[in-house]
Amino acid sequence: MRRIFHFLRGYRVDALLGPILKLCEATLELIVPLIIANIIDTGIALGDTGYIVKQCLWLLLLGAAGLAFSVTAQYFCARAAVGVVTGMRSSLFAHIGTLSYTEIDRLGTSSMITRMTSDANQVQTGVNLTLRLLLRSPFVVFGAMIMASAIDPDMAGSFGLTILALSVVVFGIMLISMPLYKRVQRKLDGVVTRTRENLSGARVIRAFCKEKSEIDSFDTESGALMRVQKLVGRISALMNPLTYIIINVAIVLLIHTGAIKVSSGALTAGQVVALYNYMSQILVELIKMANFIITMTKAVASAGRISSVLDISSSMKDGTVSEGAGSEYALELEDAALTYLGASEPSLEGITLKAKKGETIGIIGGTGSGKTSLINLIPRFYDVSSGSVKVDGVDVRDYSIEYLRSRIALVPQKAVLFAGTVRDNMRLGNEGATDGEIIEALKVAQALGVAEEKGGLDGYIEQGGRNLSGGQRQRLTIARALVKKPEILILDDSASALDYATDASLRQAIKNMDTGATVLIVSQRASSIMYADKIIVLDDGTPDGVGTHEELLRSSAVYREIYASQFEGGAV
Amino acid sequence: MKKKSTLSKVISYIGRYKYLLPVSIILAIITVGLTLYVPILIGDAITVIEGMIFGGGEANSDSIARIVSLLGMATVLILATSLAQWLMSMINNRIAYHVSHDVRRDAFGKIERLPLSYLDTTRHGDILSRTVNDTEQLSEGLLLGFTQLFTGLLTIIGTMVLLFVLSWQVALVVVILTPLSLFAARFISGRTFNLFKAQSEAKGAQTAIIDEMIGNSKLVKAFSYEGRANARFDEANERLAGISLKAIFFSSLVNPVTRFVNSVVYAAVALVGALLAVTGSAGTAITVGTLSVLLAYANQYTKPFNEISGVITEFQNSLASAGRVFDLIEAEEETGDGAATDVLGEAMGEVSIDNVSFSYVPERPLIQGLSLEVRDGQRIAIVGPTGCGKTTLINLLMRFYDVKGGEIRVDGKPVLTLTRHDLRRNIGMVLQDTWLKSGTVRENIAMGRPDATDEEIIKAAKASHAHSFIKRLPDGYDTYIGEDGGSLSQGQKQLLSIARVMLTLPPMLILDEATSSIDTRTEMKIQSAFSEMMQGRTSFIVAHRLSTVREADVILVMRDGNIVEQGSHTELLERRGFYYELYNSQFAH
Repeated sequence: MRRIFHFLRGYRVDALLGPILKLCEATLELIVPLIIANIIDTGIALGDTGYIVKQCLWLLLLGAAGLAFSVTAQYFCARAAVGVVTGMRSSLFAHIGTLSYTEIDRLGTSSMITRMTSDANQVQTGVNLTLRLLLRSPFVVFGAMIMASAIDPDMAGSFGLTILALSVVVFGIMLISMPLYKRVQRKLDGVVTRTRENLSGARVIRAFCKEKSEIDSFDTESGALMRVQKLVGRISALMNPLTYIIINVAIVLLIHTGAIKVSSGALTAGQVVALYNYMSQILVELIKMANFIITMTKAVASAGRISSVLDISSSMKDGTVSEGAGSEYALELEDAALTYLGASEPSLEGITLKAKKGETIGIIGGTGSGKTSLINLIPRFYDVSSGSVKVDGVDVRDYSIEYLRSRIALVPQKAVLFAGTVRDNMRLGNEGATDGEIIEALKVAQALGVAEEKGGLDGYIEQGGRNLSGGQRQRLTIARALVKKPEILILDDSASALDYATDASLRQAIKNMDTGATVLIVSQRASSIMYADKIIVLDDGTPDGVGTHEELLRSSAVYREIYASQFEGGAV
Repeated sequence: MKKKSTLSKVISYIGRYKYLLPVSIILAIITVGLTLYVPILIGDAITVIEGMIFGGGEANSDSIARIVSLLGMATVLILATSLAQWLMSMINNRIAYHVSHDVRRDAFGKIERLPLSYLDTTRHGDILSRTVNDTEQLSEGLLLGFTQLFTGLLTIIGTMVLLFVLSWQVALVVVILTPLSLFAARFISGRTFNLFKAQSEAKGAQTAIIDEMIGNSKLVKAFSYEGRANARFDEANERLAGISLKAIFFSSLVNPVTRFVNSVVYAAVALVGALLAVTGSAGTAITVGTLSVLLAYANQYTKPFNEISGVITEFQNSLASAGRVFDLIEAEEETGDGAATDVLGEAMGEVSIDNVSFSYVPERPLIQGLSLEVRDGQRIAIVGPTGCGKTTLINLLMRFYDVKGGEIRVDGKPVLTLTRHDLRRNIGMVLQDTWLKSGTVRENIAMGRPDATDEEIIKAAKASHAHSFIKRLPDGYDTYIGEDGGSLSQGQKQLLSIARVMLTLPPMLILDEATSSIDTRTEMKIQSAFSEMMQGRTSFIVAHRLSTVREADVILVMRDGNIVEQGSHTELLERRGFYYELYNSQFAH
């Protein structure tokens, strides 16, 4: 809730004017019965047709003024509602951008998407209705109660009691259904997950002829969503009948007491009619209110889900240093260890590695041995659990993250490109790159041909780079990293889809670059790293050896095996 | 035109619950009838009160008794009304949520039947938005439509009848002014429909950005792209805000405008009624009491118009959404399997590719005149530079895409005459881009054979060397893997994909860079299992590691969509052609 107010701040004027204009309109509505009373008491009683016509013109005028008030009110309410949610979505999106890998892993993509879309929409509807009705409805309800007690002070108690009973029902239902609405949104997350997954896994699902079972499993998820929706629906369905009973039973009692009071001479018949009218007015307003409460309940549940993301602060504290120490080492890892959140065992342990500026470092090891975990420590995607990582002589935790990452370029294992032109994609890490620089990088990455085939720098790339082959994507992602002109270039098994010829020319071209970058190459292929200045061999998260190719052939059994498997005809 | 057809499609979905519909309508009639009747009973009671002797005490006991009996009846009816209203809501809930579930299921089912060319070229976020957001909107609109449309209409009819009974002149005035209200509502909603449609589209575009940027948030971070991602998002967000403001504002005009029309009606009833009361002759004159009842009903009569117009805007919004869902549901499907005339069953594995041509975009031909004969049990390796058409060939073998010219035959039967399932059941596929579903490790391995026993699953996992890492996972084979493989490494995901195929063992195999992320030591160990698996099975292997390729019976060297060389390893080396170059570059630096 606090969040909503926070976002309302920019729309203070709208959020105030909207409800106030609504109140003006409601006040005009309250005048109408007075005019009717005048028509009856003066016009009809005296037979003055001119007076009747005049009063009816007043009615029209009130209607027109009401129209003017409410149209303006609707505008301000809509502006505030759209403004609040637009601001909310924008900060949510930006906030997600500040979260570290650890939080992103925990939240899950689908859930974040539901929060940004479906939940935000609910909040928008909720804020809009709240501004329109929140002041108006209680104003009419309590106004009617005050008018009633002006007629007969004894009635104040019974009106008060009725309103109390109504509040219990309305808020009771709201409290019960609130957590259920959260459950609805959670089920929706499940539906989103299934849908996303089936879009990305279409080939595998079809290859295994799993279409039917996927539909069945979606059916289960969607059915679960439907069941919770129906459950909430059943509870909310109580709202209207219950309020109807309370009000009408109150009217029955009112008429009964009224009759007795008339009989005893305490009230006139006309006053009873007036009391009845006020009770009816409360009913009409409450029906609106009940519908509004349902919408608001949903909105509050959704706002809670959005808030809970906004409340997560990155577990990573940003540093302040924005200059290296000018060390001779580009990179130093000291006894670094990493245990992922929720994992029982460390994924990396005892990693010590030093790389001088301009050196090429090879990282090799078995599947799941921690190669990707190791490089994730360098741009601070994850923080070490113990030990330290230094870039240019400064602990990465002391750098401002933005500065740190501006010095490093990573080519991830999974080659993903964004929808957009080749140029847009190449400028991902360096907004101001010129076409010349881009072409230079494409050349080094052996990707110039790929870009030309797509129609040059203006060629269009589909979401994820789906209109490219795996190898083409990899070459473009390498070029994308080079455009950044990094001091440290990390290639995370980035050449796996490249044929050996391309891979070899790529390595040659990178070596010949004049930027003097320190290059880290993660690879499965001994040939890709054997000429590195230093190689670290990982085995199950721990280093099995650090040294040059020749040294490792002597000292590391794991390295020998890897090398043998690739170069000696498979003989181990 | 479009609007109407969307509506009729929605109605056909509702039609599945036709046994509930009459019940809902009957309950609506009961609810409205009773709601209109209760005030009459109360009115009668008030009339009795008016007739009482003011301060008459005991003299009024008869009147009081009459009032008590009237009120007693009213109480019974009030309870009955509530019950009917409650049951009606329950039924309407049921219909609305079931319909949206049905639509959602159909939309999802459609995803499974769309051609891959559609999925490859449409933004996934947009399809997602249609399947999830738009169906939600549809159910909201339906719910409101059901609960308020019927009751609204019935209230109008009921009130009309009562008005005519009370005073035909006043009733006539109301009837004449009614079209004003309808006209106003129509005028506005006609305009808002397009705005809502534009809003849905803007939402779809925004969801696509969200899907792309949040789905790849790690990449965004690695390139410090957050700032520009935010800018892109904000741009879409502002665009949506602009359209939303217009859509919400214009749709919210319906209420004030119809309410203004109501005031006009109310003023007219007051004028005509009051004038009749003053000047009416014996036959047409009305009492002050009747006038207040008339005014009360005039008010009640116009209220449902408000509600209906509100419902109509919501309904418009839903129709716009429904239109988008139906666009998806009706998108052109893969050519049906209905035309299948032949059955493959358990294939031998003989494959002939006969003068095949194919292109993704007509203006850029990719494969032309490709021919190849593969005997059953042969091991075919496909090598060539990136983008030479290897993956395309697999797309064609699996019938993810269909050939544009020529023919592919399996066991002499053209694949186009087989059902896709019939063909795909005979082929095991491991792709470079591994994909795992969210679920347990066990479920993922048993994907192709859900009935496999634990022993069989473990055996497959051992053969693919996945067993040792699975064992170390927190819950072993029952470890839940999140979206997109969760925290597993690329290589581990690949091992699971291999285990998946090792469990099914179909007669033909396609291995597209199946071991690209697996270290060579593990790969060597898997290799023996692979060799065993490929024994007697026709296999197509795409690999960059020529060591994997060496043992193939036939090596196809592809370049620019054509087979440029073909032969065994030694033959090709002797030829000293393109393959020779590729092979030697493995050791070049």
